[in-house]
Amino acid sequence: MSQRRIQLTILCEDQQQEVFARYFLIKRGFKPEKIRSRICSKGSQAAEQYVRVEYPKEVKSYRTKAKKSLKGLVVLIDADTKSPNQILQNLNNALIDSSQERRQPNEAIAIFIPKRNIETWIHYLQGESVDEETEFSKFTKNESACKTCVEKLANQCSQGDLDPQAPLSLTTACGELQRILRLRD
Amino acid sequence: MLRRIRIDNFKCLVDFDLSFDSINLFIGNNGAGKSTVFDVLRRLQTFILGYSKVSGVFPNYSCTRWQNISTQFFELYIEGNDGKYIYSLWIEHNSQQSYIRQEKIFFDNQPLIDFNMGKVEVFDDSHKSIFNYVFDSSQSILPLLSPSDNNRKLTWFKKRIERFINVKIAPNQMYGLSEQPQTFLSPFMENYSSWYRYISQDQGKIVELMNCLKEILDGFISFKFDSFSENRLVLTLRFVKEQNENNIITYTFDEISDGEKVLIGLYTLLYCTKSEDYTLCIDEPENFLALPEIQPWLVSLFDFCNEGKIQAVLISHHPELINYLASYSGYWFERNGNAPTKVRKILDTDIDETGLPISELVARGWLYEPA
Repeated sequence: MSQRRIQLTILCEDQQQEVFARYFLIKRGFKPEKIRSRICSKGSQAAEQYVRVEYPKEVKSYRTKAKKSLKGLVVLIDADTKSPNQILQNLNNALIDSSQERRQPNEAIAIFIPKRNIETWIHYLQGESVDEETEFSKFTKNESACKTCVEKLANQCSQGDLDPQAPLSLTTACGELQRILRLRD
Repeated sequence: MLRRIRIDNFKCLVDFDLSFDSINLFIGNNGAGKSTVFDVLRRLQTFILGYSKVSGVFPNYSCTRWQNISTQFFELYIEGNDGKYIYSLWIEHNSQQSYIRQEKIFFDNQPLIDFNMGKVEVFDDSHKSIFNYVFDSSQSILPLLSPSDNNRKLTWFKKRIERFINVKIAPNQMYGLSEQPQTFLSPFMENYSSWYRYISQDQGKIVELMNCLKEILDGFISFKFDSFSENRLVLTLRFVKEQNENNIITYTFDEISDGEKVLIGLYTLLYCTKSEDYTLCIDEPENFLALPEIQPWLVSLFDFCNEGKIQAVLISHHPELINYLASYSGYWFERNGNAPTKVRKILDTDIDETGLPISELVARGWLYEPA
């Protein structure tokens, strides 16, 4: 008999973010069978809103269920033209609006906010020169193309030698990761 | 990879034309024609590989009931072998018989076979005509062509057709007993153990499959074939009890649950066909699976497809599959009364901003609601 218990939930906007995050987490030692993804299944316009609406529900269930066993939540949301701090603030406001506390430092809730979007990180990791304002091309129907560079990122992150020239949002994300690393078996 | 299919005058499929990606999800109401596309693929495979004559595979009653047209047409576009194949078949029915009016294969728009009203012309790999003769119009010419140095393109095509797996898994019909290895997987996966005997010749893939099943089934160690009687083997599963490697418990395949059989079948399909240019057509793969098992399998399949290791065409009514795949690679099938199937690719822009998941829109009949 199978005994699946999900340990990490990924809440994200689209397939590209999901493939990136899942593969990164696996490379950092999380078991694939313990990860569950919730992807926005609607049009891209609604994706950011989807994450913002679902975030308080996921945090609530995390806070209820994490008492029993180690669990965590990983959120991916593109900054687009906003700043990552604004996005973070929006997510905190969504918690307050649902009568919950802000995210606490000891909670295994990691929020990754690529700026401008996840493609910025991928293009950077593939060796291109990037900035966080330009919109870079998508890898439509080839989302797995990021896997080689995600593996490289996982190695760099684990050794603490991320390139100082890396996009700021990516450096910040490596810090966020520390919130959930303790959940690994 | 199967790139496109055209079907005309077969059951509810009239002037039907559908393009495919590496992963595809068919959704739509019951009777909309989703499984009929799988049916056509299965029949074409049977016909092209020579397992049946045209009247057995495409009887005249398979023509669209509300039309009075005696010609059926099928066309497959297959990419591979560094080019594009087009296979076309026209079938004519009259009151006495069904026969092939035309059967043609092109590779990069150059002919490989031109079978027209009983006369067949076969071309070599450089597309020079090598035979020209009269042939029986009741069966495909392809099974009769033996592989040779000058028909490698045709041989590749036949091998590719063999690599269509088309199943609707029925665990209560999957048996552990096997008389001999079998190359083909039957439509309900009834012959799983015999097919497994065939594919288990590739030890590398079996190791991957076993490692995967160990993560899914508590205490699972491996498969083993035990002798049942002369020439017959029975597939068994070995489990370890309480982490003690010396304490092995063995179950026959028939003894495990329906859900476990389906899980094993689905992961075997993934790990034993990957990187070999297979197309997996699976009708309702989630049937019998516990809810926590659906997404992990689907995510593995998605990865293999996205990496170009497998092509998959799925039919599902399950929210897990619909919400994961529909906006990415979904096709909506619909039919109104005795009208032909219509299909459309689901686009981001087609999905309204109600805030509801696609599965909920489908459940409410709100996806592509008539104005």
